[in-house]
Amino acid sequence: MGLPRAGLLLLVLAAWQLAALAGLPSYILGPAEILRDFATALGSSELYEHAGASLARSLPGFALGTAAGAALGTAAGVARGFDRMISPAVFLSYPVPKIVMLPIFMLWFGIGDLSKILIIALACFYPVFINAYAGARQTRTILVWSALNMGAGRARIFRSVVLPSAAPMIFAGMRVALALSFVVMFAAEMINARSGLGYLIRVAENSLRFDLMWVSLLSIAILGYTGDRVLRSVRARALAWQGEPQ
Amino acid sequence: MRFVLVAAALLAWEAAARSGLWSPLLFPSLASIASELGRLLASGEFLLEAWVTLARALGGFALAAACGVLLGMLMGRSAFVAGLLDPLFSGTYAVPKLALFPIFVFVFGIGSLSKIALVFLECLYPIAIMTYHGARDVNRSLLWAAQGMGASRAAILRRVVVPATAPFIFAGFRVAVPVAMIVVVITEMVSSADGLGYRVVYALSSLKTDRMLAVVVVIAVLGWALDRAVVLLRDRLIYWEKLDTYYV
Repeated sequence: MGLPRAGLLLLVLAAWQLAALAGLPSYILGPAEILRDFATALGSSELYEHAGASLARSLPGFALGTAAGAALGTAAGVARGFDRMISPAVFLSYPVPKIVMLPIFMLWFGIGDLSKILIIALACFYPVFINAYAGARQTRTILVWSALNMGAGRARIFRSVVLPSAAPMIFAGMRVALALSFVVMFAAEMINARSGLGYLIRVAENSLRFDLMWVSLLSIAILGYTGDRVLRSVRARALAWQGEPQ
Repeated sequence: MRFVLVAAALLAWEAAARSGLWSPLLFPSLASIASELGRLLASGEFLLEAWVTLARALGGFALAAACGVLLGMLMGRSAFVAGLLDPLFSGTYAVPKLALFPIFVFVFGIGSLSKIALVFLECLYPIAIMTYHGARDVNRSLLWAAQGMGASRAAILRRVVVPATAPFIFAGFRVAVPVAMIVVVITEMVSSADGLGYRVVYALSSLKTDRMLAVVVVIAVLGWALDRAVVLLRDRLIYWEKLDTYYV
């Protein structure tokens, strides 16, 4: 990102800082102040503990939901019987906000981390399933025919033709799922938790610690942004034959 | 035949509820959920709460649709605007906007306004980004053909760019509608005294699992109905292009 492209971003930050100097309500801190508080928080262990607790929920949930979504989605994309069985249920429940299941998950799996991990996994499952399904179905028939002609077996075709054609779509689904995993993690921690960044922001809100509120906000923003960057670089590695995505 | 898995899941639920292995607090039977649902739907107060939730979701979504389509179109058709706004959108895309909610509560108050503002912000991204991609990738030969036939800029916008972008706009809407429901319900669960999300939390804390699941059913039906509405509207307006078959 060149300097001219970042122009508006810098302009917004500068305007924000000027407004903060001119006087804003106490709950809106200026960028310089937030950065200073953030640097202070980085010096203590508290922030790391809460960020670690949050990641310990969102990453396993993301991994679980993504793995299940990719596996079942590609399977439904290639096997008609399985497709008929599972897809109507998935597409029927797709527009339902999954977070409403959190209370019942808390009853079933306890109020600890397990219920939160599972609700994150459930939310991540859908975008990956739908993308993997569409990706597997979009495999060009001519490629499958060529592979058949060259004597490839079903397993070989799945591995060498279907999976590579579905992979870009699966990564697109994973990108949505990653963003979703942070949202659901944060929501679950705001609703019920004893640790994590969502919990920290609730504590800050209730005790009117605006510095802490902005620090947790900045931390979650950094985590979300970094996660997305990591996923994109993994994608660039794994799908090197493909161009950059939009 | 299509819904065999759904039926199996419901049967398994009922079996689990009747087996007596778990307390009805964990697995209320379908009959008790249904009777709670009937009672809820018969009460005017509850319908009012459902309406509050729906109005918040639709309000935020409508604002996001108007602004998102406008911004996306501008970005797609003007390299200057795209250079200005694209870094802003792609830089903050992966940041969970939900984290702003406590600050929104201070800025906009604890009522509907903070929730609508958050729905707006979350829905703006998919709509603006999809519209941007659609408007940017309008088939060039169509634009040239229109120019060659002497169409004015306004006519090209109306007759070529908007129809070519419409499928992308609706794809953005389709992503944004469930997001709107998710955000409204979360914000109502976190801090509210009304709305369906609040009713879920309230039923849970009074250990009325069957009532809680009845509210969950209502939320699910609302989310599903909104999605259907978008699909129906899309098929109406974009009659020349069929929706991808993978959506049931």
